[in-house]
Amino acid sequence: MNSSSSRKGGIGRHLAATAFSLLGAAALVAPLAPAAHAADVTTIKVLNWEPGGAEYWKQLVAAFEKANPDVKVELETVPFDRYPEVQGPYIATKSGPDVMENNAGLELYDRRSAYAELPADVLEAGKELITYSGGCLNFDTSKSCYGLPFGYQGNVMYYNKKVLAEAGLDPANPPKTWDEMDAACAKIKAIGKTCLALGLSGIFPAYWDFPEVARNYLTEDDMRAMLTGDMPWTDPKMINILKGLASITQKGWANASAPSITMLPDGADLFQSGNAAFAGTIISDAVNWAAFDKALGAENVGAMRWPTLVADAPLAGSFSGIESSVFGVSSWSDKKDAAFRFVKFMAGPENAELLTKVAGGISLYKNVDPSALPKSPALSQILEIIKKPTLHAGVILSGQEADALARGWQEVTLGQLSIEDWTARMQKALEQSPSKRKK
Amino acid sequence: MAAAQQLDQARPRARPQTERRMKRRELWLALAFIVPGIALAVLFKLVPLIRGFHLSLLETQGFEEPSFAGLENYRTMLDDPVFIGSFRNAAVAFATLPIWVLLPLVLAVLIFQRSPGWKFFRATFFLPYMIAPIVVGIMFRQILAPDGPLNALLRAVGLAPLAIAWLNGPNSALLSLTAVALWSFFGLGVLTYLSGLATISEDIIEAARLDGAGFWSLLLRIVMPLLKPVIGYWTVLCTSGILIWMFPLIYALTKGGPGNATTLPEYLVFTTTFQFMNRGLGAAIGMALFVFVAIVSAFVVRRMYAEGKAS
Repeated sequence: MNSSSSRKGGIGRHLAATAFSLLGAAALVAPLAPAAHAADVTTIKVLNWEPGGAEYWKQLVAAFEKANPDVKVELETVPFDRYPEVQGPYIATKSGPDVMENNAGLELYDRRSAYAELPADVLEAGKELITYSGGCLNFDTSKSCYGLPFGYQGNVMYYNKKVLAEAGLDPANPPKTWDEMDAACAKIKAIGKTCLALGLSGIFPAYWDFPEVARNYLTEDDMRAMLTGDMPWTDPKMINILKGLASITQKGWANASAPSITMLPDGADLFQSGNAAFAGTIISDAVNWAAFDKALGAENVGAMRWPTLVADAPLAGSFSGIESSVFGVSSWSDKKDAAFRFVKFMAGPENAELLTKVAGGISLYKNVDPSALPKSPALSQILEIIKKPTLHAGVILSGQEADALARGWQEVTLGQLSIEDWTARMQKALEQSPSKRKK
Repeated sequence: MAAAQQLDQARPRARPQTERRMKRRELWLALAFIVPGIALAVLFKLVPLIRGFHLSLLETQGFEEPSFAGLENYRTMLDDPVFIGSFRNAAVAFATLPIWVLLPLVLAVLIFQRSPGWKFFRATFFLPYMIAPIVVGIMFRQILAPDGPLNALLRAVGLAPLAIAWLNGPNSALLSLTAVALWSFFGLGVLTYLSGLATISEDIIEAARLDGAGFWSLLLRIVMPLLKPVIGYWTVLCTSGILIWMFPLIYALTKGGPGNATTLPEYLVFTTTFQFMNRGLGAAIGMALFVFVAIVSAFVVRRMYAEGKAS
């Protein structure tokens, strides 16, 4: 009896123990099953300013995640003109995104300690590009490289053919020299429109305007000297560049609000609204031919080189080109493998096609099918202009120089600063630039 | 009898023991209340301040390894005309403090005495405070543009000479920035003053009215003396508002320009630290700003304390 009851009790305990074990196991396994799946997926955070627009990035991320199902991309998108202020704290605290975007050239070099050097397999992907030197130290691919580009970037001047015609100008022959531009501006102002849409706040004057005047006075060697801090702002060539910039606003070509607005979005808005005849912006990513075609109608948009100040200058007829922004992996990232895969994908053929089709960008990938390019008169003009490239003088300015350039130009425009004082400020900014100052 | 005697003898010994126990308990209770506050203050105020000061003694240009620089950052800071200019701008902005203090007070009294439309204005005045400063900045960049709605309105009502490029002139830009900040902030002042006014007995107001007090007389002789602590409190808030809370507006409205006309010290700390990556110099400017705000605030708080004690 006792033994029987004890056996029953034993069986009951055994059953109970089995049931609890099963329940316990189920309770443990249930949350673990998706957790195990989640653990297989690596989420990388990508800091960017959304070059090419929201739709392009949506498709880019979808394409990458499809090709890399074990990686999920989380975007942190910041407006271009506020990017340094957001990225700065991340770098200062050595924390944050796994992948970061930066302009090629000095901006990237200045921040190189925040980037991991590209490994050999990622560099291989770079060799499929027309160029990737802007992601490498001193534009030299034999030195350390920190990021890969994906598109070609540079400056052109867009014009509104409708406004030119309204002002009695020939849209097929836009101004080619500074004097012709001055004459055209007089006619455009006479019909109550702004000649050149301009915004002098932020970093745009350094990147979009400075190189176009600089090409009239500098050689490529001069630009390399600028990069290493060996070209003082007191050099007559540099002073001439400042004088050239000052003349744009002093001649009254620009909108009155220029000293207090940014080129993106305010200046570009002015051009897109049809109230300005010209705007100096870029070929890819944003405020490009695709955006202006959409706003003004492709038949009304033209693209040209900036008018020349010194017609026989060696680089006067060249295109200030640069790999567009580069993407690199942050030195503190603990997901480097997944992050490098994203960088590689950015430089690859699939993204090249997306960039062209969705964003209207100009890819650096060597084998893009030309028939994939959209039909646009401005784009056709751009494809001709970029055939004669030179270095981009804007991306070799330091943060200090870019800031002093914009603020000085604002004050010169308002008659509050002389060219001499502007020059002195630029020289001081050069001396305070970490990568350029002489110790 | 003997037991009673023993109890009597014991009593004087027991009282100090109980008192000591109570005192100890009170001490522990007091410590329990004070220590978390002190710990938080040390952790989140004193430690960052000391770290900030330490950083200001380092040379941290770019991404190089920091090295001890002594007072070099302070020397650089004092030699920099932009730094001097930023404090001059702060002083100009601070000079508008009386408007920041009096305008909401006048409006609060008008609402308090049930002027026509008071309910509408009570809600409307507070509305700008609910808009994020960065949005306010973007909004006013459009409104204050040379061809913007403000100038269009001025021209339409025959005040064309007043339709200037508000954000282009060094003085007009700084005053525009301050005015936009005031527009954004004054609603909170109205609300603060209304809370203070609610504590004033209506009998006092009624008695003053019966004695023939007009609006200004009521404001200057009755309301202001009775609201001195609230005015003091609001003054401290405005002082910090002007000196250290303008950043989002500067960022969205002017970026410190034209030139450095609207660069206030807090904006300079930010650009120096994060745009130029010079954290040591940025910290030095931050320390200078801290001292400046501390001196100004100490003066205002001291006045407030003296007024409170007197009342």
